[in-house]
Amino acid sequence: MSSAELAVEWASVVQNSSERMLRRLAGEYHEDEWGFDEEFAEAAFPIFDFLYRAWWRVQVEGIHNVPAHGRSLLVANHSGSVFPFDATMIGTAIQKEHPLPRWSRALVLNWAFDLPFVSYFVRRIGGVAANPANLGRLLDQDQQVMVFPEGVKGFGKPFSERYRLQRFGRGGFVEVALETGSPIIPVAVVGAEEIYPKLGESSALAKLTGAPYFPVTPTFPWLGPLGLLPLPSRWRIQFLEPIDLSGYGPGASEDRSLVFDLSEQVRETIQEALYKGLVDRGPAYF
Amino acid sequence: MAREGRVVITGVASHWGSELARTLERTPGVGQIIGIDATAPKVDLGRTEFVEADIRNPVISRLLPGLEPDVVVHCGILWYPESGRPSRALHDINVIGTLQLLAACEKVPNLRALVVRGSAAIYGSSPSAPSFFTEDMARRYPLSTRFQRDIGELEGYFDNFARRHPQITCTMLRFQTELGPGLDNPLTRYLSLPVVPTQMGWDPRLQPLHAADATGALAAATMNPVRGAVNVAPDGAISLSRLLRLSGKTAVGIPPLIAGPLLKRLGDMLGSGALSDDGRLMLRYGRGCDNRRLREEVGYQLAFDAEGAARDFASKESGIQSLFHAPHPGSPVRSVKRQASPR
Repeated sequence: MSSAELAVEWASVVQNSSERMLRRLAGEYHEDEWGFDEEFAEAAFPIFDFLYRAWWRVQVEGIHNVPAHGRSLLVANHSGSVFPFDATMIGTAIQKEHPLPRWSRALVLNWAFDLPFVSYFVRRIGGVAANPANLGRLLDQDQQVMVFPEGVKGFGKPFSERYRLQRFGRGGFVEVALETGSPIIPVAVVGAEEIYPKLGESSALAKLTGAPYFPVTPTFPWLGPLGLLPLPSRWRIQFLEPIDLSGYGPGASEDRSLVFDLSEQVRETIQEALYKGLVDRGPAYF
Repeated sequence: MAREGRVVITGVASHWGSELARTLERTPGVGQIIGIDATAPKVDLGRTEFVEADIRNPVISRLLPGLEPDVVVHCGILWYPESGRPSRALHDINVIGTLQLLAACEKVPNLRALVVRGSAAIYGSSPSAPSFFTEDMARRYPLSTRFQRDIGELEGYFDNFARRHPQITCTMLRFQTELGPGLDNPLTRYLSLPVVPTQMGWDPRLQPLHAADATGALAAATMNPVRGAVNVAPDGAISLSRLLRLSGKTAVGIPPLIAGPLLKRLGDMLGSGALSDDGRLMLRYGRGCDNRRLREEVGYQLAFDAEGAARDFASKESGIQSLFHAPHPGSPVRSVKRQASPR
């Protein structure tokens, strides 16, 4: 490409983005009833794309198990300690690898919605406060939703317990999946549990910030914001066989033992896939 | 409602009371319309008869049965909490007034329906809240502000009344904040500030209800009351930042630590009044309500969604207001010349 062509190309990029900026400043953009803003998500995508390709070198297995349309529930192990990068990478994997990519929504720890800046960033890229009402409504709208049933227990687990799945809450996600007849796609994320090796926590700082816990890693909070830089571990995301729940009928969500059985089944599936994924991936960092 | 039913509207001098009376006057099937308030309506009503009475006074128990209403619409008694309105006065009007009115309704021989114009503020605003509250979620979170507790108390009396009188259809309408050209409430005053202070780092989801829909839904519920609570909220939601951008407003983010006290003082200074405890929480976490009961059971078709209400407001609200324009805290009507049409 000649330098003249390059200049024209850049001029059009700059013009397009300044037009977009002016349009957005006038409020002329779309957001859905949850506050998801597709244009914003697209603008933030290059950051996640960089992390996906260069930083974590993500490998993906079983992308064909992700339904291209209709309601579905992606259930994954949770980790991160500081920021839920696992959710963003699952979303990025679907955007990049799926033949018919779609934006998945994620149920996010309520605490995130009590943080300035984080709350609206998370909402604009598709995060929704984690509660059964929101999950049910999203699935009724035929959305694809990511949930992390380990919740805070998984998000804040110490480095020594990495890849050991915590209890899956009270199985609320299975109840809603049964009520709405949504298939469950278990997802095993290997790599995310090594980006912030959490060594301990500080209860005093947790109290001060109002956070459910305050992680202490080799770099955080010692290096300040720089300590938030995630380690470049290698990732492998496995999308597993969908579990079809449509055969159970409408009253099944009331059956506690069925709910616990299914919840445990999903948990064991993910746990096994994690062990396999760890072997397939090889060494964590190099 | 059966043909030629008689409707009594309390708080008829308030903006929404007057609007309801005017809408019902044009609605076929409505018989006599009687409006009750402590002061005369500021607008000319057609065939609505006005009775001067204060619902906080026990006299109402003798007055109301004599009017022999089929439907009582308890309207316009719910003010917004805001600076310049002492919370005790609010409590007196909202809670004690409702209590007196319910006592009076017990004495009405053939009352068929009671419709209360309540507020979605009972749900509050919280980071962990569902994005769309359904009617059964009202007390899921502790009632944190004084105004919320007032509404909680009022709804408690209402529920009790509904339980004891199963022959009366009791409807509690929970309105989201109304938005419309010419309307004077804390939200419109906040939006009419030349430079709008926001809380830095926060961008709540709001559901402004178009004034035409606020009146239309109230009239629809009067004609077709259903049992229990009904959210009156538009489809969709809009973030505050986008609402401000559509209105051509400049937002100034105020840093978190000084936001609370500063916004309160600024609110007092500008008379914008949106920055009560409820307003402050609303402008931080926002609130959304599910409107399926309104659409499917009451059968009201909303004319505007949240974005439509914002656009309509932005296109009709003329120009920038004076920085120190101080509206009267007591008057909910700035201009009633614009007739809000149902549908």
